[in-house]
Amino acid sequence: MLAAVWSLVDTALAAYRGDPRATAFLEACRAALSGPLRVAAVGAAGSGRSTLLDAIVGEPFTARASRLVVDWPGAVELIDGDGDHDAALVLLPRPAAPFPDALDPVASIAVLSRADELGGGRVDAMVSARQLARRHARGELGALCQDVVAVSGLTALASATMTAEEDATLRALAGLPRAELEPALLSVDRFTGSALPVPAAERVALVERLGLFGVRLALSAARRSADPRAELSRASGVGEIRTAVAECFADRADTLRARSALTAVDSLVRADPRPGMAAEVERVTAGAHELRELRLLASLRSGRVSLDDLGDDAVTEARYLLGAAGPNRLACTDDPYTALLRWRARALDTTLPDAQRRAAGIIARTCAALATR
Amino acid sequence: MTAPWLELLDDTIRACAEFDRPDLAQRLRARRASLLGPARRVVVFGCPGQGKSQLVNALLGAAVCAVGDDVTTAVPAVLRHAETPTAAVLGAADAGGPVETATARANKHPEAVGAEIGLPRALLGSGMELVDAPPVGEPTGRRTELAMAALAEADCALLVSDATAALTPLELDLLGQVARLCPAVAVVLTKIDMVPRWRHVAEVDRNRLADAGLVAPVVPVSSVLRLAAAKANDRGLNAESGFTALVECLRAAVLADPAAAAGRAAAATCAVVIEELMGPVKARAAALPPAVSQDGLVKATKRVEQVQRDAARMQTQLADDVADLNSDVEYDLRDRTRRVLREVDDYFEEADPLKVWPEFSDWMRETLTTVAEANADWLLRRFEWIAGRLAAEVDDLPALLDSAGVDDLRTPRVEPFTPVQKMFVGLRGSYSGLLMSGLATTLAGLPLINPISIGAGVAFGARSVFEERGARLKRRQAVAKTAAQRHVDDFFLAYGKQTRDAVRLIHRALRDRLDEVARQVRADAAESAGRVKRAVEAANARRTELITGVRRDLTKLGTLRGRAEAARRPLTVPRGLTA
Repeated sequence: MLAAVWSLVDTALAAYRGDPRATAFLEACRAALSGPLRVAAVGAAGSGRSTLLDAIVGEPFTARASRLVVDWPGAVELIDGDGDHDAALVLLPRPAAPFPDALDPVASIAVLSRADELGGGRVDAMVSARQLARRHARGELGALCQDVVAVSGLTALASATMTAEEDATLRALAGLPRAELEPALLSVDRFTGSALPVPAAERVALVERLGLFGVRLALSAARRSADPRAELSRASGVGEIRTAVAECFADRADTLRARSALTAVDSLVRADPRPGMAAEVERVTAGAHELRELRLLASLRSGRVSLDDLGDDAVTEARYLLGAAGPNRLACTDDPYTALLRWRARALDTTLPDAQRRAAGIIARTCAALATR
Repeated sequence: MTAPWLELLDDTIRACAEFDRPDLAQRLRARRASLLGPARRVVVFGCPGQGKSQLVNALLGAAVCAVGDDVTTAVPAVLRHAETPTAAVLGAADAGGPVETATARANKHPEAVGAEIGLPRALLGSGMELVDAPPVGEPTGRRTELAMAALAEADCALLVSDATAALTPLELDLLGQVARLCPAVAVVLTKIDMVPRWRHVAEVDRNRLADAGLVAPVVPVSSVLRLAAAKANDRGLNAESGFTALVECLRAAVLADPAAAAGRAAAATCAVVIEELMGPVKARAAALPPAVSQDGLVKATKRVEQVQRDAARMQTQLADDVADLNSDVEYDLRDRTRRVLREVDDYFEEADPLKVWPEFSDWMRETLTTVAEANADWLLRRFEWIAGRLAAEVDDLPALLDSAGVDDLRTPRVEPFTPVQKMFVGLRGSYSGLLMSGLATTLAGLPLINPISIGAGVAFGARSVFEERGARLKRRQAVAKTAAQRHVDDFFLAYGKQTRDAVRLIHRALRDRLDEVARQVRADAAESAGRVKRAVEAANARRTELITGVRRDLTKLGTLRGRAEAARRPLTVPRGLTA
């Protein structure tokens, strides 16, 4: 599919020769096709975009630039804000409607970016937030995106950039008697205002950096003689978001890049038609089996198409075959050839609804590709 | 004495009935009933996940409202005072259970519309009931609907917004809407225990409220601290929670003077209803007919003047024409008789009257008859022409009227002329007849002709014997000439008198007829002008009536609104935890 899109962009470049704006646009498409996968963090002001990106990278880069290429593995370009992108992390302060338009069933992950605040900063706030994310991934929100992940960007960033002084302050505080420390952890005002042996300025700086949740968590870890930094990193959910990006985006980088390039060329052709170009776009779109797979996956997720009648095993197999769980598509399938025969039979079974037969046809074609590999 | 707000409410209800809005009146009556109840209703509302239910729990010091990290509240919970804890789920069959789980049961039940909980709390006992509203976030949806319904009944509303973010445009918009319905609004900034920069957020919120023109205090609180303080019975912690200020705020808003609170709420409701009533009245004011045009009236008045001028002008013209005619006819008669005399003179230069007298006598009679006939004919024709000209003018008059009805008017106006013409025709016959007969009699009875002819004949005959032939002939001729001249003079005098009499007669008839026509036309024009004037006056009167009606309605509603506005003083309370 990537090759077809490449040649489409080249054809378009020839068709729009002499039009500087269109040529520049197509050149940008070409560059994006050969460049790293572009993943944008999209969200309203105050949703924690830069904090999250800094936390993912592990250093505050958003203060200097709005984009950065990281190895994920495989190059991924992180973009701060709603620019041109192949896939998006859509930041939500809380998983409640109305959901933003930026959510895309094929190429977006919903991120509960201030998950520690959902639980009021309790020590178990992130545990509860993770359950919340899992529940919403199965619900209405999950149908609109690839995954729902709970993250505390502030905690993650603090863990990634914690200084030795901060570590020392934390350990000094953890050493205080419980009776003295606990009332001070009731609120931010108490933590910064109480008469504790650690200087107030250090405490203010600490709570600004970690948040009350981070402070509580780090102190509880330090009191258990665990590493506060590792504990913060583990609780922050930054690992989950890395995994989600790797599984949902990085493994399908080619398809996503081709998809966004195809969309871009399509929008150009619609806005400024040239003879034959619309048909060319249509040919590539129709011929792109990967896109059909992605659309079917999205439909299965959103419930527009349901294979539940065929049994749980068939549903799981279909999702794996379509690549919902990454490149290991045959994980739930004994043999690609028998799978091909099974799904082809379903595609021809006139007792099944049309939508299921079409879905079975797409899966059969996937099986055929896997069988001949 | 009834409370002023009750009077305002009743007046507004009456206005609703007057302006034919029984629905609004019904709404106000329901509101009146609730306002007359013992407890003031405080509604806690806001976007999802701001800590509304937790705020209610913390305010009452009891875990009565279900809380969770996700969107939890689905239906409003009303908390009232009761001697012993009670709970009920509204709108659905409830299996029953502990009071603490009543809201959770109501939230989970798809058909439930609310929960009612009674608690033995001093705060509730002092004349207040609390409503924990579902979140308002989705533009449409059951939760939003239920929340808005709860807010419509609010005497005081608390917008809950947590300290993790400043007030959003959505929240400001919502607060603006609620503030119209309910004068006592406050923003409760929750979760200040976990946000280091809550003071900054509170300041931003205050600025945004000021920018949006909303008068509402911002009260920062921490429900967690309040609950912890209640558990540990720690006064210091309770002070830190900021709830003292919140309770103070509620006290000022509703508890301190429940009647004033009810008054403010009533005023706000009235103001909204009056605004709604004013809409159609303003539309009516915008749709008033324009001032009536005076053009028609001016035109009609001008026409009356024109008709008068025309009548005067035509009388003058008639008089002038008749004077011209008199002079012309007289000249014509004189000219003709002179020519006859000249002919007589020429004739008697040669002829001998003695011999030709009988022929001459016949000739004379015929000639004078012809002269009289020609002159009379000419006179009549001149009159016909004059009458025709006037008739044409008079006939044209209707053309000055509006085109409508011209055909109807033309016929009767033209017709009266027929008698004139008939008279002329009659006159022509009778007059020339009369003239002729008169003339014949005059000629026959005149001693001028017969005696002359006879006497002269005798005289000539007698003299001719004795006198010389030439000299006698000359004398005879001179006598005949003199006799003829006298006769023609007499004829001129007699006939001229007849002519002038006839002219006067016809002139009078014409003048009277013209007068009559002019009077009629003037009367028509005056009546038409009167009609136009009456129509204009009627339209003006109608417009004035409409304007007066709209003004009266506007003044009435404006006065009501003024009373409502004066009564809805916004809530001001100590700022509490801000330093």
